[in-house]
Amino acid sequence: MIKTLLFTCGLLVAAAGLSFAEPEVGKPAPNFSLPDTQGKNHTLADLKGKYVVLEWYQPDCPFVGKHYRSGNMQGLQREYTAKGVTWLSIDSSAPGEQGNYPAAKLDEIAKQDGAARTALLLDPSGEVGRLYGAKTTPDMYVIDPKGILVYEGAIDNKRSTNPADVKTATNYVREALEAAMAGKPAPTPATRPYGCSVKYVSK
Amino acid sequence: MVNGGREPVGTGPRGPVCRYRPYPTRGTETLGVQTGDLRYFLEDQDGFRALIIGYPMPEAAKKKTLRIDSLIRTLLRSALLLGVVFGTGGSAQAQLYSGKELVKAALLSDASSIAPGQKFRVGVLYRIEPGWHIYWKYSGDAGMPTKIQWQLPPGFKAGELQWPLPMREKEPGDLEVFDYTSEVLLFAEIEAPATLPAQPVSIQAKSDWLVCQSLCVPGRAQISLNLPAGSNTPSDFAPAFQKYASRVPKQLGSPIKLGFSRTGKSLVAVVDGIAKDVSLDFFPIPPEDAVIGHVARDGNRLTIPIESEAKPSARMDGVIVVGSDNSRQGYEINEGTVLNRVQSQKDSPAAGLPGILQMLGFALIGGLILNVMPCVLPVISLKIFGFVSEARMDAKKAFRLSMAFSLGIIGCFAVLAVLVILLRTAGAQIGWGFQFQDYRFVILVSCLVFAFALNLFGVYELSVSAQATQGLADLARGQGYGGAFFQGVFATVLATPCTAPFLGTASAFAFAQPGWVTFLVFLFIGLGMALPYLLLAINPRWLRYLPKPGAWMLRLKQCMGFLLVGTLLWLIWILGQMRGPDAVVGLGAILLVIAILAWIKGAFWTPISSRRSRVLAIVAMGLVLCLAAACYGFVTKPSQLVWRPFSKSALDEALASGKPVFVDFTADWCLTCKTNERFAIDTPKVRQEFLKRDVVALKADWTTGNPEITQILKQFGRAGVPMYLIYPSGNKETQPLLLPELITSQTVLDALNKT
Repeated sequence: MIKTLLFTCGLLVAAAGLSFAEPEVGKPAPNFSLPDTQGKNHTLADLKGKYVVLEWYQPDCPFVGKHYRSGNMQGLQREYTAKGVTWLSIDSSAPGEQGNYPAAKLDEIAKQDGAARTALLLDPSGEVGRLYGAKTTPDMYVIDPKGILVYEGAIDNKRSTNPADVKTATNYVREALEAAMAGKPAPTPATRPYGCSVKYVSK
Repeated sequence: MVNGGREPVGTGPRGPVCRYRPYPTRGTETLGVQTGDLRYFLEDQDGFRALIIGYPMPEAAKKKTLRIDSLIRTLLRSALLLGVVFGTGGSAQAQLYSGKELVKAALLSDASSIAPGQKFRVGVLYRIEPGWHIYWKYSGDAGMPTKIQWQLPPGFKAGELQWPLPMREKEPGDLEVFDYTSEVLLFAEIEAPATLPAQPVSIQAKSDWLVCQSLCVPGRAQISLNLPAGSNTPSDFAPAFQKYASRVPKQLGSPIKLGFSRTGKSLVAVVDGIAKDVSLDFFPIPPEDAVIGHVARDGNRLTIPIESEAKPSARMDGVIVVGSDNSRQGYEINEGTVLNRVQSQKDSPAAGLPGILQMLGFALIGGLILNVMPCVLPVISLKIFGFVSEARMDAKKAFRLSMAFSLGIIGCFAVLAVLVILLRTAGAQIGWGFQFQDYRFVILVSCLVFAFALNLFGVYELSVSAQATQGLADLARGQGYGGAFFQGVFATVLATPCTAPFLGTASAFAFAQPGWVTFLVFLFIGLGMALPYLLLAINPRWLRYLPKPGAWMLRLKQCMGFLLVGTLLWLIWILGQMRGPDAVVGLGAILLVIAILAWIKGAFWTPISSRRSRVLAIVAMGLVLCLAAACYGFVTKPSQLVWRPFSKSALDEALASGKPVFVDFTADWCLTCKTNERFAIDTPKVRQEFLKRDVVALKADWTTGNPEITQILKQFGRAGVPMYLIYPSGNKETQPLLLPELITSQTVLDALNKT
C-alpha cells in the first residue's frame, strides 16, 4: 500500500513538474544560454546573485519604438544597470522576419538609440522566446538574485504607441525592481504584455 | 487595390455630403497650405476615394460636389496634375508602407440629415490593404485594439462602440490575435438633442489603430462629418451600417444558455442549447489586468486558461461564436448577462444527491469486487473462522470483532483519501489544475490507467516489502478488538498488490473531485471491501455462498485489465479532441515506453530475481528512458535552417534571384529523409555555408504525394524521396547537381563547393 501510494504520488509529481515548464511568477526562471551581438555567451544560471531584466526586443516594432524614441527604455537601462542589474534585451525575430538584423546592424541601432543595456542577445530560432512564452515586443521579465521570476508582462500600463503616454504611465518593471530591492513582492506581479507579436519562425 | 478588391472603383453607393479634413501631413505642407486649413467637401465614397488616392473625381461626383472652395479646387487640380499623391496622409498619418496606404478611414453616417431627438448611427469605415489586419477590442496575444474617440457638438450623446465579430487568427509561435481584414465599420448610436442649430452640425472622430501584416505600423486619423438638420432621411450608407450591424454580436438569450465554472487556473464556459456538430468558440474580453491563454473547446465546454489575474474571477466577458464562416453568429456576454448555473463535473455540491449516491453505490460495488481478487478471497473464510473461534461461539462478540476488523479496513481507505486530498490541495496551491480540461492531467491519468492495466494482465506484479510491514504485522498479532482492527489494516495492506490498480485509478480520478466527495468515495470503497466480513460475522453459515477461490480469480483480474484499457480509450479520445492527432500519437509513444518499462520490471525485477538481474533491469530501464528522450528530441527539434515551401514558381523565382538553390525532397513518413535532415543538412557547418553563400533552401514536401513533386522526381529518375538538388548560382540553364540518397554534411559541402 505504502509503496503503491508513493509510486502514485511520485508519478503525479514528476509528470506535473515536467509539464509546467513555462515560467510563473514566484518560480525559478528557466535557464537559457544565448550569444549576444558580440558573440559572447550569456547564461542565466551564471547570473545568480544579480537582478536580471529580460526585455523582448525588435527595433522595427512601433511599440518598442515608443519606449526608445521617448528615451524611456534607455533611461531604465541606465538607471538599473548602474544599480547592478543585468539588463538583457532579446531579439527572437526569425531570419527573414522584421527585426532580424546582422549583429553589426543591431549594434549600430543600439548606438543611435543610446541603449544602455548589458547585452542584446540573439535568439533567431525563437527557442528562448518560446521557453519564456514571450508574446510581444516589448515583453518584460524581472528575475531576482535567487533566480526567481518576480515579474512578467507589459512594461507599463499605457497600452499604446504614443511616446507621450510614457510620462503618465505606471512602469511595472520599475515597480517590480524597486519592490524586490526593498524585499517586498511586486505590487503587480503579472500583466498582459502589449506590443507587436514576436516574429517567430513559422512552423 | 483601393478597397481590398471588394467593389470596382466608381460603383460605390452615393453618399451624403461629407466634410473631410485631412490630418496634418507632410503632403499638405509641401503645397504651402497651413495645416488644418485644408477643407473640402465630398459628394460620396467614390469621390472620397478618388481624392485620397489622387485620381480624378468621377464626373457625376464632381457635378454634385457642393461648395468646394475655389482655392482648394485649384490646389487640388494642380496637386493631381503634378502627380502628388495628395491625400496620402489624408486619413492616416504617415502610414505609408512601400508606397501603399495601409488603412483608409472614413467617417460615415446612416442618416443624411437629422431631426431633433433622432437616434442615428455614425461609424468609421476602415478599408484595409489585403494581407494586413487591424484589431478587435481584445487584440489577443499581441497588437492593439482599434480606438475611436468621438467629439460631438453639445447635447449629442454617443452610445457604446459597436464591434462586428472579428476573426480569430494564428501567428507563428503559437500566438493568437482577434482581427479584421479587408474592411470593417465600427459604429455607435448617436442621439441628437431636442433642439438643433440651423447650421449643419459637425461630428468628429479621432481614431488610432495598429495595422499589422507580419510587421506592424500604427496609424491614426482625425475625420469629421457634417450633418444638416432636416427630416430624418437614411443616407446611402444605411445598407453598409445594416450589413455591419448584423455582424455585431447579439445579447445572449434563449435557447442558448451559458454558465461558468472555475477550477484552479481554468475558467470553463459551458454552453447549452446548441447542436453538437455546430462550431463553437469563445472570443474572450478579459479585464486589463488578467493574462489568459487560448480558448480550447471540448464538446460544449470552452476552457479559458487563466495565467494571472488581479482578483480571482468566476466569469469573463466575451462573445460566444456559433457556426463557421459566413454563418457565424456572435452572442455577447457582459456584466448584465444572466448566467446559467453550471453543474460542473468537479465543484458541484449541486451535482445533486442522485449523482453522489450513484457514485457512492459504484464505490461500494467496487469495494465489494475487491474481495474476489486472488489475494483477498482466500483470506475471508480464514478470518471469519478466526473471529468465530476467538469469540467462542458468542455471536455478538464475533460480530464486534469483525466490526473492529472492518474499521481497520475502512481506516486504511480514510488515510488514503486524506493523502489524496492533501496532495491535491498542495498541488492546487502551487497552481496545478487537476481536471480533465487540462490535457496534462489527462495524459497523466492515461499513463496510470495503462500501467495498472498492464499490472492486471500480469505483465508485472506489485509487491509489499516485508520490512515495511513488519511493525503492522506485530500490532496485528495482538488479541481482542485492537488486534482485530490492526488485522484489518494489515489485510488491506497485504491485499494492495491486487487492489492497487483499482485504488490507483480511483485516486487519479479523485483528483478531479472536491475533497469531501473523494473522502466519501474512499470510505464507501472501504465499506464495500469490509461488507463480507460484517455480513458473514452475523451468520457464519452464509460462508457456503462464498465463491470458491480458484484459477477463475486470475482470469477475472485479467478481464478487469480490459476494463481499464477501455477507460484508456475514452481518455485518449478526450486528449484527441483537445490536442489533435499528434497528441494522441505522442501519448501512444509514452504508453509504449511504459509498456517496455513494465515488461522489464515483470521479467527481471521480481521478488525472486537475483541481485544481478535487478541491477541489469535498472540499467535497462535507464537506457530505455534515455533512448526515448533522444527520440523525442530528434522528432521535435525544429529545423534551424530557414526553409521555403517548394513549388515550380518558387524554384524559378529563386533561380532568377541568382542565388544558389538547395531543394530538399522529403516526406514526413520518410525516415531516411528525416535522418539526413537532422544529421547531414541541419548541422552548424552546413548552416554556416548556406548563410555564407546565401543559399535559398526549398523544401518539397511529398507527404501527401503532391503531383508537381512526383513529376520532378520522375524527371530525375527517382521513384521517391529523399532526393536533393543543388542549383549553382547565377545560371538558370545549368543542370542541378543530384546528391545521393544517403548523405553526410560533407556531401552537401562538397557539392556546394563544386558549384
